[in-house]
Amino acid sequence: MEEIIERKPFEVQVGPQHPALKEPGNFQFTVDGEIVTKASVRLGYAHRGIEKAAEERNWIQNIYLVERICGICSHIHAMTYCLAVEHLANIQAPPRAQAIRVLVAELERIHSHLLWIGVTAHEAGFDTLFMYSWRDRETIMDILENLTGNRVNYSANLLGGVKIDVDGEQKTGILKGIEILEERTKHYLNIVTTDVFFLQRTRGVGKMTQRQAEVMGAVGPTARASGVARDVRIESPYGAYDEFRPNLIIEQAGDLEARFIVRVKELFESYRLVREVLDRLPEGELSVRMPRRIKPAEFAIRVEAPRGELFYFVKSNGTDKPERVKVRTPTICNMTTVVKLVVGHQLADVPMILAGIDPCFSCNDRMVIVRDNRKIETIESRR
Amino acid sequence: MDAENTFETVHLLLEDWAERFETPDPTRLDVYMTQIDDLLPAVVGLRVKRLGYLAAIVGLDPGIDMNDLEILYTFCTEQLMIILRFRIPKINGSVPSLCDIIPSAESFERELREMYGVNIVGLRNPGHLYLPDDWKEGVYPLRKGVDLRIAFQNN
Amino acid sequence: MEIILDFLRLLIFPSGLFLLLAGLLYEWVDRKLLAQLQNRIGPRWFQPIADIVKLMGKEEVIPDGSNKWLFVWLPIAALAGGLTAALYVPIMGIKPAFNFTGDLIVTLYLLSLLTLCMGLAGSNTMDRYSLLGATRTFTQLFSYEAPFMLALLGPALVAGSWQIDKITAYTQNHWLIFTQPIGFIVVIIGLMGKLELPPFDAPEAETEIVAGALTEYSGRGLALFRLGKGVEMVVGLTLVAAFYLGGVSNPVLFLVKTLALLVVVAVLQAVLSRLRIDQTVGIWWRYGALLVLVQWLFMFVGQRLTL
Repeated sequence: MEEIIERKPFEVQVGPQHPALKEPGNFQFTVDGEIVTKASVRLGYAHRGIEKAAEERNWIQNIYLVERICGICSHIHAMTYCLAVEHLANIQAPPRAQAIRVLVAELERIHSHLLWIGVTAHEAGFDTLFMYSWRDRETIMDILENLTGNRVNYSANLLGGVKIDVDGEQKTGILKGIEILEERTKHYLNIVTTDVFFLQRTRGVGKMTQRQAEVMGAVGPTARASGVARDVRIESPYGAYDEFRPNLIIEQAGDLEARFIVRVKELFESYRLVREVLDRLPEGELSVRMPRRIKPAEFAIRVEAPRGELFYFVKSNGTDKPERVKVRTPTICNMTTVVKLVVGHQLADVPMILAGIDPCFSCNDRMVIVRDNRKIETIESRR
Repeated sequence: MDAENTFETVHLLLEDWAERFETPDPTRLDVYMTQIDDLLPAVVGLRVKRLGYLAAIVGLDPGIDMNDLEILYTFCTEQLMIILRFRIPKINGSVPSLCDIIPSAESFERELREMYGVNIVGLRNPGHLYLPDDWKEGVYPLRKGVDLRIAFQNN
Repeated sequence: MEIILDFLRLLIFPSGLFLLLAGLLYEWVDRKLLAQLQNRIGPRWFQPIADIVKLMGKEEVIPDGSNKWLFVWLPIAALAGGLTAALYVPIMGIKPAFNFTGDLIVTLYLLSLLTLCMGLAGSNTMDRYSLLGATRTFTQLFSYEAPFMLALLGPALVAGSWQIDKITAYTQNHWLIFTQPIGFIVVIIGLMGKLELPPFDAPEAETEIVAGALTEYSGRGLALFRLGKGVEMVVGLTLVAAFYLGGVSNPVLFLVKTLALLVVVAVLQAVLSRLRIDQTVGIWWRYGALLVLVQWLFMFVGQRLTL
C-alpha cells in the first residue's frame, strides 16, 4: 500500500495568491527544512499591455493610462510622462506647476513609505506597528484628498502643468498634518532601531553588500540601504528638484533593518521638502498650452519614484499619438536581488525579504487575458 | 564627472565601432553602432571605464515596412545618459546576451525577447516574463502592425 | 442519580456547553483588548459565536490524499481532550467534578492532546503549508512543554500533592505569584506558547504559511478546532489563576482573576512581534528551562531552610 516516495526537492510556492503578497506574483522556493535552497520568479499576473495601449491613444489620453500603472506611484508616473512629452514639444511647465508637482510627489512618497512600514511589519508578525502606521497613513491620505480630490491616484498633472492649486487654507492643513506625522515618525524610528523582538526579525536578514547591490542592479531605497549612493533627485534633478534639493539618505548595513531606517529617514526628508515647497511656492500660472501634434523626437528621462529609479523613453512621430512609450519600473530591477538573496535564508524570512524591496507588481507588469468564449477580445478593443 | 570629458572618453572608446555620435540633449550621448557583434566588447569597455550602469534596454520598431528593429542599451551615470543603438533584422535577428557581464540584464532581455521576438543568444532563462505561458508563439505584441487576435484564437 | 449529575457536569456545566460558550467569550475579550490596544474598534461580543455558527454551516472539503477518517476525527478528539481536561479544573470556582491523585498530570496531557491533534491534522494532508505548520507546531510543543509543566508543578511541590483540588486548597492561602515569581513569568509565557498567541504564533504564521497546520480545514472541522482553542484558553487561565493567584474559590474571583491574566496576555500580544520558530525554540530551551530550574532550586533551598 505504501509506495516509496523518491526524495524530491520540497517546493513551496508563494503566490500568485498568498497572504504574504499584497499583489500577485509567483515565487517558487525549494526548501530543505526551513532553509531556502533555490528560488525563481514568474511575473505577469497583472500585465495589462500598457506600453502597446499607449501607442493607440493620443498624448492626453495617455496621461490617464499611465497614471493607472500603479496606485501608489500614480503621480510620479504621470509626472514623468508629462515631463517627457513637454520636453518633446519643447515646452517648459511654469515654475508654480513644477513646484506643485514636487509637492504632490513628496506627499506621495510619504504615503508610500508609511504604507510600506505597515505591510512589512505585518509580514514580520508585528501587527501593532502595522495598525499604527496605517492609521497615520489616513492622515496623509486626507491631506492628499483635500489637495487633489482623491486619496489614491491623484490625477494632478496636465500636459504643460498641473490642474490643482494650493491656497492658504490647504497649506495650513498640510502643515498641521505633517507636524503630526513627524511626531509619529520619530516614534517609528525608535521602534525600528530599538525594539528587541522586531530587530530579531530584521537585523542581519537579507543582507546585501554594496558590490552585490551594484552588480545585481538594485535601485532606490533598497540600494541606498546597502551603501549605493544613488538618488536620481540629487544626481540628475528633474522638474523643480534643482530648486528644492533633498539630502541623500544612505546606510551601510544592507540588511532589512537598514532598509527600514533608510525609508523612515526619507520620510523626514520628505516632510522637510514639503515644508520648503509650501514656504517658497513661486507665483504664476498653473499650465501652458501644448500643441496637439508633436514633431518627431525622442526623449529618455529618469526619476526617483518611492520605490527607486523609474525610467521613461518616449518617442513621437509627428502625429497626436506616441510612437513608443517605454516604462521601466524600479521593482523589476529589485526583483533579481530577491531571487538571489533569498537562498540560504529561512522560509520565515522570505516574506520579509520580499517586502523589503517594496515590490509593486502593478508597476511591474503592464497581461490578464480575459477569455470570453463568445467573443474574442483584443487589446485594441479594450478602451 | 562632466559631460564633455565623459563623452570624449566614450568617443575614443567606441569610435571604431560607431557609425556616428549624436547629442540630442546636453546630457545625453547617442552612439549609433554598426555591428551587433560589437555589443559585448563595447559594454565591457564602458564598464571598465566605469561609465554608467545599465538602466534599460528599449526596443523600437521603426515601422511595418522597415526590415530592421532598433535596440537601445541605455547606460546612466550621475546626470549623463549614454545610449548604444543597434539595428538588427526583424527576421532571424539575434543579439548576444549581457547576462554574464551584467546579471540585472536578464529581466530586460527576457522582456525584449517576448515583446519583440529578438533572439538573445546565451540567455539562461528564456521563459516568458510577463506573457502567459500559453501565449501563441510568433506573436510579438510590441511590433507594429501585429494582429493580436491571432494570439487569442484557438485557445 | 450521580450518573445523571455527572453527565450534566460533562455536557452542560461546568464543562460542555458552558465551557464552549465561555471559551468563545474569552476569545472575544482577547480580540477586543488587542484591537483597542492597536487603536482599532474590534469585534462585537457575539463575533466568535457567530464565526462558529457560520463555520458549522459551511461545506467541509476533505482534500485528496489525506486520510478521511483521521481528517474527520482529529478535531473531535482535540475538542474532547480539552473538555475532559476541564473536568478536573475549578472552572467558575466550583470544586472540580472529578478528582484523583495525579490529576494534574492527566490534565496537562489532555491539554497537550489538543496541540498534538492539530499537528497530526496538519501532517495528514499533502499541502506544503500544512506540513510546514505541523512541523512548527510539534517543534514548539517540544520546546515550551517542559518549562510550562515544570512551572505548573512548582506549586504542586510546595502544596505536597499532585491533585488539583488539594493544590488549590493550599494556594487559597498562599499567593504563589509572590513566592515563585519566576515560575509565574514562565507559566504565563508558556501559556502563550501553548495557545499559539503572538509572539509564539510561528506555527500559524499567516504571512508565511497561510494558516499553518489548519490550512486545509474548513467548515465543521475548523469550527471544532477553534472551539478547542477557546476551551484550552479558559482551562489554561484557570490553572494559572488557581495556582499562582491565590485560588479561585467563587465565580466572582474566578472571573476577576482570569480576566486580569487575559489582560496581561493581550498586552504582551500587542507589544511583541512574532518570533521565528528557531528563535522560539532557542528562547525556550535556553531561558525558559533555565529560569524554571532556578525557581525550583530556590524552592528546594527554601523548603530545607524552613524544615
